[in-house]
Amino acid sequence: MHRVLQQPFKTAVLVLVWGWLLFLVLTPNLLVVGASVMTRDPGTFISLPLNLDAYRQLFDPLYLDVFLHSLYMAAMTTLVCLLIGYPFAWSLSKVGKQRQLLLIFLLIVPFWTNSLVRTYALKLILATNGLLNSALMPLGLIDEPLKLLYTEGAVIIGLVYLLLPFMILPLYSVFEDLRQELLLASHDLGAGRLSTFIHVIVPLTLPGVLAGVMLVLLPAMGLFFVPDILGGSRNLLVGNVIKNQFLDARNWPFGAAASIVLTVTMAFLMFAHRLSKRRLGEEGG
Amino acid sequence: MTRWLPRTYLALVYLLVYLPILVLVVFSFNESRTGYSWEGLSLRWYESLFNNRAMVGAMWNSLWLALSAATVSTVIGGLTALALHRYRFRGKKLLNGMLFVVMMSPEIVLAISLLALFLLVGLQLGYVSLLLAHVTFCLPFVVITVMARLSGFDDSLPEAARDLGASDFTMTRTVLIPVIMPALLAGWLLGFTLSLDDVVVSTFVSGPSYEILPLRIYSMVRVGLKPEVNALGTLLLVFSLVMLMLSQWILIRSKR
Amino acid sequence: MKKLVLAGLLAVGLTGCSSEEPQVLNLYNWSEYMPQTVLDRFTEETGIAVVYTTYDSNESMYAKLKLLDESAAYDLAVPSTYYVSKMRQEDLLMPIDRGEIEGFDELDPELTNLDIDPDNQYSIPYLWGTTGLAVDTSDVEGEPVKAWSNLWDERFEGRVMLTNDMREVFHVGLLVLGYSGNSTDPEEIEAAYEKLAELMPSVRTFNSDAPRMPYLEGETDVGMIWNGEAVMGKEIMPSLEYVYPEEGIIAWLDSFVIPKNAKNPEAAHKFISFVLQPEISALISEEIGYATPNLAARELLPEEVANNRASYPTATDMINAEFQADIGDEALQVYAKYWEMLKSGQ
Repeated sequence: MHRVLQQPFKTAVLVLVWGWLLFLVLTPNLLVVGASVMTRDPGTFISLPLNLDAYRQLFDPLYLDVFLHSLYMAAMTTLVCLLIGYPFAWSLSKVGKQRQLLLIFLLIVPFWTNSLVRTYALKLILATNGLLNSALMPLGLIDEPLKLLYTEGAVIIGLVYLLLPFMILPLYSVFEDLRQELLLASHDLGAGRLSTFIHVIVPLTLPGVLAGVMLVLLPAMGLFFVPDILGGSRNLLVGNVIKNQFLDARNWPFGAAASIVLTVTMAFLMFAHRLSKRRLGEEGG
Repeated sequence: MTRWLPRTYLALVYLLVYLPILVLVVFSFNESRTGYSWEGLSLRWYESLFNNRAMVGAMWNSLWLALSAATVSTVIGGLTALALHRYRFRGKKLLNGMLFVVMMSPEIVLAISLLALFLLVGLQLGYVSLLLAHVTFCLPFVVITVMARLSGFDDSLPEAARDLGASDFTMTRTVLIPVIMPALLAGWLLGFTLSLDDVVVSTFVSGPSYEILPLRIYSMVRVGLKPEVNALGTLLLVFSLVMLMLSQWILIRSKR
Repeated sequence: MKKLVLAGLLAVGLTGCSSEEPQVLNLYNWSEYMPQTVLDRFTEETGIAVVYTTYDSNESMYAKLKLLDESAAYDLAVPSTYYVSKMRQEDLLMPIDRGEIEGFDELDPELTNLDIDPDNQYSIPYLWGTTGLAVDTSDVEGEPVKAWSNLWDERFEGRVMLTNDMREVFHVGLLVLGYSGNSTDPEEIEAAYEKLAELMPSVRTFNSDAPRMPYLEGETDVGMIWNGEAVMGKEIMPSLEYVYPEEGIIAWLDSFVIPKNAKNPEAAHKFISFVLQPEISALISEEIGYATPNLAARELLPEEVANNRASYPTATDMINAEFQADIGDEALQVYAKYWEMLKSGQ
């Protein structure tokens, strides 16, 4: 292995990779941190002096409300994804192996189409004159068309639709690892179905749940185009606020601070995920 | 447990997932202008799509961008994966960490950080800024795909090649590259689709000199219901289906 | 061989086939604010291709221009009244060479040489219009809607549309409270915010990309609209009426400006001259329903367009009209804060 150290090829590869990541990942992220502690400037976007005004503004009860509401929207999205995805992944793990692959493939196909176009397709369905209403009205289920479009519900439906595969895939992988013997053992030890579920299945699938939550919760806070199309251009997500600060109101420190709060949330979730995995490892090993 | 319950449930979810897409495809052949009611079969929206010069231009721009971004990220990502797999070097954890951060951080955070960078260094927003941004967010996905392939690979073969006197470069080219080829292709396809689909990052780092499809679509769907969008969506769906089938075919073939 | 091809492809991609590219005009304009036929005819006559990029608010146009300042991205933009003076004062614009512009003398003297840009050194009027009330008369029962304050009626819960334009929405709030729509007083702005917050449960959507669409799609029945959009909407849905509210209408003038670092100012000048031709100005006004400031063009308009009260208001319609004015960055920040809060809709 020591000869390898003197290789020009290795040097070239490492320089390229390090250069790319330092220039396009580390530097930009440091810039955002820097911008968040600077002062808003109408001419040059940001200027000295350094201060924490942006963070103070962020925790202004008014803006805190926006952030918390966005968190609520994202949490609802995650919850719905979990409620749909958990039984889905479980059911999937009960199907034959060959068919499983086909079904996973079918799940990913829509994910390969443009997400804007898919969001737009939902609009066709949810609109007041849309397909859902024109299907329900003749059936006599409703008298007045349902006003679904431009509501928070429509935004949550849109987010769930775009993010569902990100919940299902990690869940599927833990269900696949779930050893049948363990469940049988639990059964043999006299545990009932519910007890097996609570004491065996839930803890064993927890890392998958957390991974899914991580993959859904954060993107759900950033996908600004979903409220733009389905939510009547309201600021329902932090993503809308960040986008407005950068592309409309030109308050960069504030936008940067908001994005840092998102990043910190992500770090926290990743930490929780690691912790749950480690604990599981200890118990299992 | 009863068998029909899981199956019915699966079928129901698939129905919901595919319903909007089905609607899109069916309505792209609809004569109607308003887009809600069926008024007969027609190809007029495909025609008006192809007569829209700005749209066609944006389509070519997007394809070229996706092609180049996927290629560059495959090259860099493939090399990164090889480096991570084979070499020991200082800061390996940091490198891994940065890739992980890119993959996990919300797109919008990546978008504004890149925008800040491009403004600071005075890079004109256009093809180059889009390429750099797209390669950056595709990179971790390529690395992971290739790493997965490498982890299942026996290390004795490259060592044997080296013992026979092959240089590091030659060994990589003749032994490792063929091994990771399917993963490279899969990574390339993934990068291609990610790039073609991206809205969030592109919104921030694009300029008027290089207009791309997702942003065109964005301004179109914000205006309201446009039957051309149905036609475009259908075309994109067919395109990605072909790409996806191709990748599956390559993967299956490589396993044999 | 393969490598050579790849290298060649990359080289072409990076340089973008620069040498034989045809001339391009990068036009930055509101969405649906210029008929495609006008752009096509311009390209046909001059050989200059037009890249039409859109925005939906003055704020985002301004922010994008500032972002792209150095890279000289756009050759022509169309800010509203007050943004012309703001951009002029901030030295973001290139003086327009009047010698290169044909047809300036045809413009309405009442719409040239305004305070926003004395002697039109930096801007040439494109279209002017008003923001008033839209009412879908087939769906609105009971008392006719005559004033902005009617939007607060309980019967309109979940049926109101507002434009996605900070200044316009606050203009309405201020007018209803009896203040000037150009107020810079933070207390008045806050009061307007409180008033508008009461309206929020009624508001279904904000739209400045095509404000007619939510009415046509049946999502909203009453609310704000631009006069041109009302005219275009009525062609498809005859029950859509444009109403001049009692408190007064919001008036604005959109003008062509050339950003300071424009790459192709020559093409920009040509384009302005092209639009100023009476025949083209008339065509634009007829197609998209806004009023042209070009007096010679007004002569050419068909009767039903020239007499359309939505496009061309009468003197009585304009009694309480207020033009939007530049209010300075400090007041804008106050507006921006309350706007963010309003749109968060709590």
